[in-house]
Amino acid sequence: MNIPVVLAILVVFAFLAFRKANLFILALAWWIGAFVFFRFGFTAPIPASVISIYMGIVSLATLAFVSSSEQRREEVSRPLLRLMTEKRFAPLLAATIIAIPALAAANVYVQMNVPIEPPFFPRTIHPASPPEITVHEKKISIDLGDNPFRELEKSNPQEFRQHVENGRRVYYQNCVFCHGDNLAGNGMFVHGLDPIPTNFADGDTIANLRETFLFWRASKGGPGLPEEGGPWNSAMPAWEKILKEDEIWDAVLFLYEFTGERPRAREEHAQ
Amino acid sequence: MTARHIIGGCAAVLLTALGAATMGPTVVAVRAQGPDIGTQAQRDSGKTLYLKNCSQCHGDNGDGEGYATPHLFPKPRNFTSGKFKVRTTPNGALPTHQDLVNIIRRGMPYTSMPAWPGLSDGEVSDLAYFIKTFYPDFASAEAPKPMELPSAPASTQASIDLGKKLYVDTGCVKCHGNVGRGDGASAPTLMDEFGQPIRAANLTQSWTFRGGSTREDIFRTMTTGLNGTPMPSFTEALTVEQRWAITDYITSLSGSEGPNYRNLVVAKHVLDTIDMAKGAANFAAAPAARFPIIGQIMEPGREFHPPVTSVMVQAVYDEESIAFLVRWNDMRVDNTGTAGPMLPVPIEEEAAKPAAAPGAAAAAAADPFAETTTAEAPPSEFNDAVAIQIPSAIPTGARKPYFIFGDAQSPVDLWFFDLARKEPIQFTGRGSADLAENDTGDLTGTASYDQGEWSVIFKRPLRPSTGAAFVPGTFLPVAFSVWDGFSRERGNRRALTSWYSIYVEPEVVTSAAAPMIRTALIILVFELVVVGLVRRRYGAGARGALGGEPSHPAATRA
Repeated sequence: MNIPVVLAILVVFAFLAFRKANLFILALAWWIGAFVFFRFGFTAPIPASVISIYMGIVSLATLAFVSSSEQRREEVSRPLLRLMTEKRFAPLLAATIIAIPALAAANVYVQMNVPIEPPFFPRTIHPASPPEITVHEKKISIDLGDNPFRELEKSNPQEFRQHVENGRRVYYQNCVFCHGDNLAGNGMFVHGLDPIPTNFADGDTIANLRETFLFWRASKGGPGLPEEGGPWNSAMPAWEKILKEDEIWDAVLFLYEFTGERPRAREEHAQ
Repeated sequence: MTARHIIGGCAAVLLTALGAATMGPTVVAVRAQGPDIGTQAQRDSGKTLYLKNCSQCHGDNGDGEGYATPHLFPKPRNFTSGKFKVRTTPNGALPTHQDLVNIIRRGMPYTSMPAWPGLSDGEVSDLAYFIKTFYPDFASAEAPKPMELPSAPASTQASIDLGKKLYVDTGCVKCHGNVGRGDGASAPTLMDEFGQPIRAANLTQSWTFRGGSTREDIFRTMTTGLNGTPMPSFTEALTVEQRWAITDYITSLSGSEGPNYRNLVVAKHVLDTIDMAKGAANFAAAPAARFPIIGQIMEPGREFHPPVTSVMVQAVYDEESIAFLVRWNDMRVDNTGTAGPMLPVPIEEEAAKPAAAPGAAAAAAADPFAETTTAEAPPSEFNDAVAIQIPSAIPTGARKPYFIFGDAQSPVDLWFFDLARKEPIQFTGRGSADLAENDTGDLTGTASYDQGEWSVIFKRPLRPSTGAAFVPGTFLPVAFSVWDGFSRERGNRRALTSWYSIYVEPEVVTSAAAPMIRTALIILVFELVVVGLVRRRYGAGARGALGGEPSHPAATRA
C-alpha cells in the first residue's frame, strides 16, 4: 500500500465532503480517485488490463448510483446543462468541445507512434534440468548426484580450501568477463549480452539451486538449454569444451564460498 | 561537586580548546609534508579486501600477475612499479591518495578493471592504503601533491577550431590519427614501459576513455600524461588555453556522450536503385544503429579483448535488393595474409600476448613523435574481415539458430567478406565447426578504408533463390562478426554481436494524420449533436427550466 497516495485521496474526499460538493463533482472524484488508487495506491503495480476491468466496474457503479433517483439524476445533470446552456459558460463550453477531440486525436497519435521494438519472446530462466548428463564420457546424475568435493568441507578442510582456490582460478580465467569481478553478473561484456549473465551475489539465486544444477548449466551452457530456455540466445559457453570436470565442480564450490551462500539441499523423497 | 572542581573542569576544557586551536594547523602541516600511508589497521583492512577482490588480477604480491592476467589486455596494473596512469600529479610522480580512491570507485571503461560501487568509502580508502605498501616510495617520500587543474572555460567553436589545428601541430595525429580514430602511423608499434603492446585511444569514442570522458578528465590526461605509456604530459609544450582547446576538439569528435547502443536497425525503402558505385551515399536516408561488440569467448580459440568495441550499421532496400553498410574503426588495413571464418586457432594462443606483432618491440624504442617512423610494424598473417549473419530460413516462432554460426537444426547464412578480396562470399553455418561455402552468386559487396574506418557494403536480392527473404513490415534476426588481422583474429578468434534485429520498414509508412482527424471529427460531431439537443430542449442562454433554482446545488440536497 502506497500510504501517501491513499492519504492524499482521503484528504481530497474530506475536503469535498466539507464543501458539500455537488454530486456531479463527487461522481467525477470517485472515478478519478478510484483510478489513482488502483494505479498508484499499491507498491506492487496492478496490471493495466486488471485496472481497466476495475474501472469498468467503478464506472457502472457510479452510473447506477447517480441515476438511482430522480433527485440524483437532476443533481448530476444540472451542472452539465448549465454549462451547455448558460451564456457566461460559452467560452468554457467551446474550450471543452475542442479539447476532448484534441485529446482523443493526441491519444491516437501516441498509440500509432509506439517505438518499433523487436518481437519479444519470453524464456524460462531456470528450466528443469535433465535427470542425467554425460560430461567427458562420464555419466553424472543431476537429480541424485552431489558435488564430489562438498564432503571435503568437513572431512578434509585443507583439501577443500585447495579446491575452492582452484575454483577461484577457473572463475577469474574464464567466467569473470561476463559474471564480473564480484560475481554480480556485471562483467565487461554485459552490455553486449541478452539474456544478461546470472548474478551469483544477489543473495538468492544460487541459494535456491543445487550444485548439480549449476554443474549442468556450466558444462552444457546455452546450447544445452531446453527449448523454453532459449538456447539460441544464451552466451553461456558449454564449458565441457574448455574445462575439465573437476574444474567445473571447483568453480561451483568457489561461487558458494565467495558469496557465503549455501547450496540447496537435495530433496529427499519418501521411499 | 565543589566549586573548585567546577573551576578546574572549566580550566581544563579551556586549555584543551586553546591547545587544539594552536596545535591544529601544525598537525595539518606535518601531515601534508609526510607520507599519507594510513594506519596499520587501515592497511590490514585493505589487505583483507585486496586478497578477496583484487588479487585474482593484480596478484597476491601486487605485481599484476594474478590468475586472470594471461587473458587480460590491457594487463592489470603492476603496483610494485609505482607507475600509475590516471593521476592528478605531475608526469612521472606517484598518484595522490584520492587518485587511487577515484580509480577504484570508477574503474576503467572497456577494460577488465570494473568500478567498485559496492565498497564503502572507508573500504576503498583502506584498499588504497594497502596498495601503497607495494611501492616503498609511498612511505618514504612525502605525499604527492596534485597539479593545479583549472576549471574548464566554456567550449566555443573558436576553441574547437584552434584545438583541431593544435592537434595536428602537436603531433597527436601520429598515434591517434588524423580524425582521432587511434589509427596514427605510430599506433601499430606502440609499447608501454612493461613491454606490452598498447593501443592509442580512439578519440571518437569518448565512452571508452580509461581515465573518464569529461572535459576535465581529458584535460587532466593531457596535463599529467599517462605514466608507463607513450602518452606524455603536455605541460611544457602547450599552454593551459591550448590544452583546453585540444580538449574541446577531442570532445567534439565523439558526437554523443555515450555509445547509444541499439537492438534494432531499420532498413529504409529508397526510390533510387541501390548503386554500389555510389558507396555510402546510398544510405543517406537510413538511420545508423550502433551495436556493441564483444569477444568471442564461448568457443575454443577465444578472443578476450577485441580491439573493435562496436559496429555502426545502416540498411536500405529498393525494389530488388537490400543493402547493409557496416562501419567500424580499425587501426590499420591488414590485407596481405589470409582470412576465414573457420581458420584454426591453437588453444595455446588464447593466453598468448595479444596483438604483439613480431618486431614491434624493436619499433617501440622509436619515439612516437619522431619525424619519420624508423620501424614499421610488420604485416600480419591475417586479414581484416567482417561477416553478417542471418537465419537461413525465416524463424516461425521464438526459435532462432544458435547465435554463433547457427546449429545443426537451424542453419545461418553467413555473408563473409575477406577485406583483401573484391567480393564477399556466402557460407552456410551449422555451428562453429560446421561452415560450408554456399556461394549462390547473388551476394555482392564493396569495401573501403578511410582514416581508421572500414566501410563495407553488402547487397543481396530481397528474395533470393535460396535463403531467407527480407519482407517489408517484418523483423529478421541479424548478427555481426569482425576480425582484426593485426590482432591475429581469424576463425573463432574474433569479435561478435549476439542476435539483434533488422526491421524492414514498409515503403509507405501509415500516417497517423488520417486516423487522428477521423477520431476527432466523430467525437466533435457527437458533442455538437448533444449540445444542440440540450439547447433545443432547455433553451440557450436563458435561465429556462433551471432559472428559479438556487445557484448552490448543495442547498437543495441539504
